[in-house]
Amino acid sequence: MRTFISIKHAFVFLMILSLFLCAGCAQQKSAALDQDTGMEKQGDEMDMLLSDDFFDEEFGVEEFCCDPLEPMNRVFFEFNDKLYYWVLDPLNIAYTAVLPFDIRYVIGNFFHNIAAPIRFINNVLQGKISDAGVVLSRFLINSTIGVYGLTDPALIEFGLEPKLEDFGQTLGYWGVGEGVYLCLPIIGPSNIRDTVGFVADVYTHPMGYIIDDTLQSFGYYSLSRVNMLSLNPDVYEDLKKYSLDPYVSMRQVYLDYRRNMIEDNTIEQRSDNQL
Amino acid sequence: MNIKWLFSVFVCVVLVGVVPVVMASSGPTEVLKPKLNASMAVLSDPSLAGNEQKDVRRAKFMDIAMQVFNFKEMSKRVLGQTWRKIDPLEREHFTRLFTKLLENAYLGKLEEYSGQTIVYKDERVKGKKAAVSTVIYDENTFLPVNYVMLNTDTGWRVYDINIEGVSLIRNYREQFKSILRKKKFDGLVKIIEEKNSSFDVEEFR
Repeated sequence: MRTFISIKHAFVFLMILSLFLCAGCAQQKSAALDQDTGMEKQGDEMDMLLSDDFFDEEFGVEEFCCDPLEPMNRVFFEFNDKLYYWVLDPLNIAYTAVLPFDIRYVIGNFFHNIAAPIRFINNVLQGKISDAGVVLSRFLINSTIGVYGLTDPALIEFGLEPKLEDFGQTLGYWGVGEGVYLCLPIIGPSNIRDTVGFVADVYTHPMGYIIDDTLQSFGYYSLSRVNMLSLNPDVYEDLKKYSLDPYVSMRQVYLDYRRNMIEDNTIEQRSDNQL
Repeated sequence: MNIKWLFSVFVCVVLVGVVPVVMASSGPTEVLKPKLNASMAVLSDPSLAGNEQKDVRRAKFMDIAMQVFNFKEMSKRVLGQTWRKIDPLEREHFTRLFTKLLENAYLGKLEEYSGQTIVYKDERVKGKKAAVSTVIYDENTFLPVNYVMLNTDTGWRVYDINIEGVSLIRNYREQFKSILRKKKFDGLVKIIEEKNSSFDVEEFR
């Protein structure tokens, strides 16, 4: 019991420490952004595309990327690459051969639906009350009419689109910086903020309370990953095929994608969610 | 009475004068839409289908792509500071290589698809730049694609494609930056040439 508490304390301490590390990076980034956009206030996503002057060297704006751990990250990138070709890809071929697309699609819906508490909590934590309501409605409709979340009548019949939020986005929403970029073994691209977010999401995932066994949890995670891969089989191989440096390409995709997910939700841009 | 008459003359003059101007300057969406439709038509044209027709099909597609994409602007932006350090010949050579890279990378992918519909959702113009947001609907999925365009003397041309925040040009730019740091411009050219020929080998098989 005692060791358990101390591990927990150490974990909390680590989380706080890493948040401070993120804050340092956040300041640098916002300074760069101020320089970039000047006086004008950023509007919605469309305006951001137009104010994106990452190429205009005259302004001296360099896209900010915090990757001091690149040598280590590249090792893990290689590890994940091998994992993909030696384990995941063969597994996926077998999995796809056994289960037809429709079944895999339905399984994907189930995995998505059961993680609804994470999206609900994080919508609430970001003050997006109407979106939290959508998440709740979707969960209730899909769990009942949609038969345990296997199908998605909430989208098809009621037009309720999923509101994807996680704890990493919540931290970003409240101004926590990305911190150092990380390429984690097995999990893949991340950064310090999103790693903290990922751990928090693991704790708010309902499966964690249904299955108690570490091995079973890992099995659940692996199955969800393989299922996701089976639905989007070409993504990783395309990335490798089209890029000259897959590591840098993946890093940029990850950073761009996460920034977009967080930025299109900032307070100024969303009047529909004001309390 | 006189004022009223004068006013109606004024309105007529304004209308007659303005209408041709409005017709002449076509906005970014009006430029993009027919070209994208034409390029999709080439890919789904049954008379151009099949592996034997590949070269004809690709040539036709690239003909249209040249009219809607500004490959020189893309090359300039993807190289950043290095663009200013190289001479015009090198610029031209690089533009050709980068165009070929994009052709190799994405045309093969596009050829796998057919029968999607593109919905044009929004257009935003700000000075010489414009963003056009579209959604591509496939059988069981959809993909939001934003085109970022620049108005030059040849009209509106696309210089970047942005999918859910992921910018095509920024992605290549970051890769090139990392290569340029270690291997300089000549090294980068060599790597792109190798990449391009790797596609040729694949097609040959």
